[in-house]
Amino acid sequence: MNEEHVYTVSELNRLAREVLETGFSGVWLRGEISEMTRAASGHLYFTLKDADSEIGGVRFRSLSSALAPVQIDQGMAVLALGRLTVYEPRGRYQFIASLLQPLGAGELQASIERLKARLNSEGLFDLGHKKPLPRFPRRIGVITSPSGAAFRDVRSVLSRRWPLAELYLFPTSVQGVDAPAELIAALDRATRFSERTEELDVIIFGRGGGSAEDLAAFSDEGVVRAIFACPIPVISAVGHEIDISLSDLVADVRAPTPASAAELVAPECTDLAEGVSLRVEQMTRAVTSKLLNRSERFRRDLRSYLFRIPGRKIETIEQRLDGLMDVLGRRMSEALATRTRRLTRASDLLRLSDPDLPLRRGYSLTFLKGSSEPLRDLSRVEPGSEIETRLEAGRMLSRVEEVIDE
Amino acid sequence: MTIEEALSKLEEITQNLEKEDLGLEETITLFDEGLGLAATIKEQLEASRLKVEQVLEKTHGTFTLEPLDLP
Repeated sequence: MNEEHVYTVSELNRLAREVLETGFSGVWLRGEISEMTRAASGHLYFTLKDADSEIGGVRFRSLSSALAPVQIDQGMAVLALGRLTVYEPRGRYQFIASLLQPLGAGELQASIERLKARLNSEGLFDLGHKKPLPRFPRRIGVITSPSGAAFRDVRSVLSRRWPLAELYLFPTSVQGVDAPAELIAALDRATRFSERTEELDVIIFGRGGGSAEDLAAFSDEGVVRAIFACPIPVISAVGHEIDISLSDLVADVRAPTPASAAELVAPECTDLAEGVSLRVEQMTRAVTSKLLNRSERFRRDLRSYLFRIPGRKIETIEQRLDGLMDVLGRRMSEALATRTRRLTRASDLLRLSDPDLPLRRGYSLTFLKGSSEPLRDLSRVEPGSEIETRLEAGRMLSRVEEVIDE
Repeated sequence: MTIEEALSKLEEITQNLEKEDLGLEETITLFDEGLGLAATIKEQLEASRLKVEQVLEKTHGTFTLEPLDLP
């Protein structure tokens, strides 16, 4: 540089520009965006600063297209790659960014937190908007990638647990630039399918585990709003237990993983079968006690009537009555047997045919010692008789102290 | 009848059977119906196989179902 030379302003600026452009051509720069304007031209002007200093910068539109569609916002910490130059007309030096991205996953998290606060204040996560899930879903929509672990898990859990279901997969990508738009389209498709073709009872919406960036589509504002607007109950199941996306918050139910979404969407069919067995037992008990009750009452009524008839006629009539009661009892058991046979054939639910069943319920059988015919009345018993009682487990011998005929 | 309807019908029958004032004929009829329902439900539970379809929309509003080939 010649000390005698007097520069014009333009010359000096041009020289400074050459020096800066040569010396600072590939610079990584970290800072916080303090001011930002998007010009009509598409260029993005910003000021980057740290605690003590700041620098003006620009990202030209021509360089923007290659960038990830991440929202850059004021107050955001960013990492930029670029070069220094001088804007000669103003003599201002500035940073030209070819890459501008939020600084690390922490920043992604922070931007999700900001969105979360905004949507929360709009009421999108309010419990009052949550739709209840059906107890016994028949048609289940699944919005996820056809090749991912999520669909495999949902499918395998449901084929074991609730094979009565029909699964309808609405394939979509679940990560990358296009994922939010595809997820929104898949929700729309499922809604229209449900309205026009087969009504869906519930939708499982999600994907398997991945990095925070992989899961980001499930916290996209458009996706969250689409779930909110969906008329079908939605279960969100994104990533692992610890990952919470905004779709989890807006959905009607959040499941920690896709596999657990499949578990909470439907009951276990073996539980249901067990419940049916219990009902059958309950019905049988009710019917049996009704029949017993009825025959006892019948006998009692007749007795009180017979007391009014004088003389020896009573004995004869009582004998005939006993005969009648036997016939009635037999016919009742036959009726019961005929009707239970169908069920016994159809399933192994009903263990009525098992002679030990009453014993398992706590009833016992009593025999006169040495006899194989169970005792039904007192006709063969007197004080001092030895009797054998058979329980579910074990037998015991007793001696009769008193015979009480009621 | 859906399984949900069958289950609630079975529940209703059980409750009716437990009523004191039910006649003999009604008891037998209800019991018969209840056992039939129970058998039907059980058969349905045992016979079901999960159905899986992929829903594609080649042109807007026209849905096609395709079986899914998974590893």
